Amino acid sequence: MSDIAVTAPITSFVASRRRQLVIALIVFAAIALIPRAVSDVYTMNVLILTLLFAALSQSWNILGGYCGQVSLGHALYFGIGAYATSILFVKFGIVAWGGMLFGGILSALVALALGYPCFRLKGHYFSIATIVIAEIGLLLVHNWDYGGAALGIQWPFNPDSWWTLQFARNKVPYFYFVLGLFAVTWLVTYAIVESRWGYWWRAVKDDPDAAESLGVTVFNSKMGAAAISAFFTAIGGGFYAAFVSYIDPESVMHFRFSLLMALPAVLGGVGSLWGPAVGALILIPMAELTRSYLGGTGSGLDLVIYGLLVMVVSLTQPEGIMGIFKRSAKKADAKAEA
Amino acid sequence: MNRREVLLAGAAMSLASSPLMGTRAFAQAGAEIPIGVIWPLSGPSAQIGVDAKHALETAAEIVNGSFDIDVPTAKNAGLAGLGNARIKLIFADHQGDPQKGRAEAERLITQDKVVALVGAFHSSVSATVSASCERYGIPYLAADSSSPSLHRRNLKFFFRAAAHDEMFSGGMFDFLDAQKKAGKKIETVGLFFEDTIFGTDSSNVQRKLAADRGYKVVADIKYRSNSPSLTSEVQQIKSADPDVLLPSSYTTDSILLMKTMDELGYKPKNLVAQAAGFADKATFDAVGDKLAGLISRASFSIDMAAKRPSVAKVNEMFKARANRDLNDNTSRQLTSILVLADAIDRAKSTDGEKIRAALAATDTPGEKTIMPWKRIKFGEDGQNVDADPVLIQYIGGKFVTVYPENVAIATAKWPMNG
Repeated sequence: MSDIAVTAPITSFVASRRRQLVIALIVFAAIALIPRAVSDVYTMNVLILTLLFAALSQSWNILGGYCGQVSLGHALYFGIGAYATSILFVKFGIVAWGGMLFGGILSALVALALGYPCFRLKGHYFSIATIVIAEIGLLLVHNWDYGGAALGIQWPFNPDSWWTLQFARNKVPYFYFVLGLFAVTWLVTYAIVESRWGYWWRAVKDDPDAAESLGVTVFNSKMGAAAISAFFTAIGGGFYAAFVSYIDPESVMHFRFSLLMALPAVLGGVGSLWGPAVGALILIPMAELTRSYLGGTGSGLDLVIYGLLVMVVSLTQPEGIMGIFKRSAKKADAKAEA
Repeated sequence: MNRREVLLAGAAMSLASSPLMGTRAFAQAGAEIPIGVIWPLSGPSAQIGVDAKHALETAAEIVNGSFDIDVPTAKNAGLAGLGNARIKLIFADHQGDPQKGRAEAERLITQDKVVALVGAFHSSVSATVSASCERYGIPYLAADSSSPSLHRRNLKFFFRAAAHDEMFSGGMFDFLDAQKKAGKKIETVGLFFEDTIFGTDSSNVQRKLAADRGYKVVADIKYRSNSPSLTSEVQQIKSADPDVLLPSSYTTDSILLMKTMDELGYKPKNLVAQAAGFADKATFDAVGDKLAGLISRASFSIDMAAKRPSVAKVNEMFKARANRDLNDNTSRQLTSILVLADAIDRAKSTDGEKIRAALAATDTPGEKTIMPWKRIKFGEDGQNVDADPVLIQYIGGKFVTVYPENVAIATAKWPMNG
């Protein structure tokens, strides 16, 4: 997308930006109509998880995709959101919305505090540091008696309410909440990527030293990306806690969440607007459906197929699935010019 | 054929040839009552789920067929109360994740219209699955999840026939008291427990019981579940050298603990385990030679077969499927289906409320089960208070019951390494 901005005239850049926005709004509107056609609880559950991980991966993409700082410790922020929301609700009676906002801000602050030392590390060393820090977080929560330690926190039964985000059987409200979250993360990404920050991030990703020499404040732009990314990840974590109504350290801070946030973006296309959503759309339903319809056999076939797909995509499409669209768009452009 | 086609063809073939593809197509003619069973069938605890599958299917066979076994619903084919309807088990995999457990429970309830659910090994998964069942008004039977927090949530549809960890730990300390009375030296205990809900709950109770009954806790070691190394933990145990070590560990950790103790040249004076990993065949396959003399609490003892013919018959049926004897987990899993089938039979209905009422009215004497329990009778909170645990000792490559005296067939070798 950035290469279009550089090579094409200004008018066509504005037009393509506008076109992207219109497409996005149509997509959101189309998704919003799904509950009219689908009422099955299980399908809704799959859709909710898909949208949630699209939103989470979109948040991850801000730091990992656009800014190039590959974090494998986002489970920490997810966990902070989940725990903040659960503790504030269960122990202080503060509604889920307040808990999510608090968790988001807390996560952003934690990201800044951790970024201060960690962003001095480059490349793989940064990724390793994020894994280690998230694992430390998991260990701390495991031993945190006030937070329920290993026993976790069970949300009490409550009447259906938008305030507490508790719905006994109805999944539709959860669906609209995650759709909203996904739309917001998408729009935030959309707004930022072509702003000065967006250009900075991509410059940092390509070559931090060159960027620095051109006047980009590399450190601050990394910190900004980390804070935004952590904020939305924590909101997702808070939602997850309300959705499942039970959390324990393993079920919200396990390393697999860090992977599940990075994987859709990597599979779909790192640093692209729709990559995380496309990745999530493939990975989550597949993981859920194969488990539900093959997992009952105990043969582990679901996991084999899941692993196989990730391998096939990474071998045949190293740029991610969005790479196919990009190439076919380029071909179409070339044809149009000829 | 290019590479992609080869991969696709391979995937398609592996799908088609999987011998287990037919499981969901269980259906046969006649009225069938769908029961949801939810266990970890893949992931780190997959072996538990695979064993559970054999046990649950054996139970379904007993219910659906006609057998001369003295347990409820065995004699006649199907459920007499519902026109000899058969039960159909629908399996779901939760991979040890509470969210997946909840999603699968909702799928089983809304899509497969199961009349009740049974699960789930992991207590954390039982927590979310039972909450979903409560919301949909169908009964949940915790077969082998033993966290005491589960029956303290005022759930109307939660039932557990087996003992919870407090009852188990109580039984273990009763045994220690008895040994002490018999003149054995037991002054200190060591706690060694994993950091998930199971180990935490278990150790909390043991710590309290040790204080109440005058045992000194000289080692109180919490470790990270599925840890790659337990060297420093074992060194702590070694230096404290308690009279009794009380481990609460799942399979992989149990194996690692025994291997590490062996490597560091430490033989615990006595091991009294909170089952789990120390009741899993995989542990004995891997480190059985190091476990001679191990005592574990149990819900079940196979040597009861000598006194109660039904145990032997059920065990034979299970063995034909699983190629091994019933153990602590599989016996509880099997019993849970029998208890549920009996309740549905008496309810003469597949309505959730009516099955719940029938479960609440359950009063089965111990002799009519395969368990060493006094009886099955649920309290207000859904917990069976008469599920007495037993202690079994691993001697000569198999387990023998050593406590309580009324079911014991041998006296305990104590100390185990002496």
